[in-house]
Amino acid sequence: MSGAPELNSVMLRRLAARIRLRATEMVAIQGFGYLGQALSAAEIFATLFGGVMRHGHDRFVLSPGHYVIALYAAAAETGLLNPQALATYGKDGSDLEAIGSERTPLADLVCGSLGQGLSGAVGFALAAELAGEDRDVFAFLSDGEMEEGQVWEAAMFAAHRRLGRLIVTIDANNSQVDGPVDSVTTLEPLADKWRAFGWRVVEVDGHDVEALRRAFAVRNDGPEPFAIVARTQILGGLRAIPPTVDGHFIKLDAALKAAITSELEAAIA
Amino acid sequence: MREPPYSTVLKPYGAALVELARRQPEIICLGADLTRQTETDLFRDQLPDRFINIGMAEANMMSVAGGLARAGRVVFVNTFGVFSTRRCFDQIAMSIAYPKLNVKIVGFMPGLSSPGGPSHQAIEDVALMRALPNFTVVEPSDAIETTLAVAAIAAHPGPVYLRLKRGEIPVIFEDSHRLDLHRAQIVVGGEGCEVCIVASGMMLPAALAAARTLIENDVGVAVLNAPVIKPFDGATVMAAARGSRLVITAENHTIIGGLGSAVAEVLAEAGASAPLRRIGIADTFGEAGSREYLFAKYGLGTQDIVDAAWDGLKINRPAPQARVVELSPGAYAPV
Repeated sequence: MSGAPELNSVMLRRLAARIRLRATEMVAIQGFGYLGQALSAAEIFATLFGGVMRHGHDRFVLSPGHYVIALYAAAAETGLLNPQALATYGKDGSDLEAIGSERTPLADLVCGSLGQGLSGAVGFALAAELAGEDRDVFAFLSDGEMEEGQVWEAAMFAAHRRLGRLIVTIDANNSQVDGPVDSVTTLEPLADKWRAFGWRVVEVDGHDVEALRRAFAVRNDGPEPFAIVARTQILGGLRAIPPTVDGHFIKLDAALKAAITSELEAAIA
Repeated sequence: MREPPYSTVLKPYGAALVELARRQPEIICLGADLTRQTETDLFRDQLPDRFINIGMAEANMMSVAGGLARAGRVVFVNTFGVFSTRRCFDQIAMSIAYPKLNVKIVGFMPGLSSPGGPSHQAIEDVALMRALPNFTVVEPSDAIETTLAVAAIAAHPGPVYLRLKRGEIPVIFEDSHRLDLHRAQIVVGGEGCEVCIVASGMMLPAALAAARTLIENDVGVAVLNAPVIKPFDGATVMAAARGSRLVITAENHTIIGGLGSAVAEVLAEAGASAPLRRIGIADTFGEAGSREYLFAKYGLGTQDIVDAAWDGLKINRPAPQARVVELSPGAYAPV
């Protein structure tokens, strides 16, 4: 029921770097994949799995299944998954599919079709409330999937029901398949939209583990559902990756892998 | 079986659901702003803690239902059939069907039974739901069977689509009627009759009336009640249809993908040679209008079944006319 012991900021930063390193190794097996998702969300996953979330008791919903690589990496680094399993990522017959599915371990719900996760989290929160359970429901969302109307149906309804144990973390990395989110449509002002829908909102630098931790600490401070808008970069701020690389689906050759690895190892040291 | 005109009752589904939910605290009732219309005002008034109105947001409702079911609840989701299937198909597929969750989707106003026109007429809902892996699809034909269906689908672990007529529900079967989610039933005639009619839902009374007319005119007829479109009881259909000269399906639904298709698949896979005539909506959208007007115009009447039999058997004299049943208020008879 209890998760990993709560880590301090230095340890969380190292955990985030190790999540990126694991993800780089996984994507390197095939030479391409959803690496940007792990690079952008590493600190969010480190904070959630590094003490905020009580794994196996609180609910965890991963709405954009393309981020499942970050879940595998975080789980391997926090003792929830045998790290050897990561070598099967994306391979035929493996449970560690590149886009999360019903076979995905370690989460209560993973969606591959975008925009459905928050509704599922609302279902978990309603069930916990009806049963009188002391249980937080953490839902991880990406900014791109907020183009789906269902997200806003769920946001409106969660606030109406005052589901105060529902916590959404939004990886606002401004990245989707066709390019920057703001080149496809305008989501901003994102935090104000969630506020207008009746949520308590905190906006943070999503690569700042201390800011994330402070944000999660006030999650139960009101009757309204709680959203953290985590501003991130799809390439995780890594200098080793040229800024022209398509962050949604990264092609990773040996040279790029080596450059990323040495930068991350320096961060961990 | 009773005789037409049939007496009718109100809210057999709503009453059965409340009765079951009193005994099963894990049952949750979801709605989308159609509470009275889906008979769930009874649930709202009597078990308010377990009634949740999601509002007009069917996509959200289906995925919320999935979350509740993952947390161990048995979730009944209620709205009109158009909104509970075509509007939120991906949510049903991914949030309910694929994970095989204990969600029962109840869709009201099947086929051309709604006066509201194409936006409110669920003409392809059975086809959609039948195509989804893990789904069971049930369409009762009267109030007795509806009551039985509520308990049966609650006891069945996994997703179900229950297709229900709205409003006054006829009582066709005797109180001793039984529903088995794996069986169709021969309700008229027996195996090897000249004509075998397979019907579901609102077309069962029409099939029974057509059979009466045909039998009076010396044509041997079997009628099968097929309330479960999936899994489909092909064995009983084949037992009844083997030796028949003609098989007719009757459904208040497009002839593509529903009961007619299920029977066609069974006959073809068995290598059965009897010709098949599908009575149903002929690959077209409907329009606004009364049930009487629409069923007659779109070929869902008793006479349409009689004519299909006459034509299929190539009988060389004019088809007999189906009897018109006089209706008093509150009574029901097929068109």
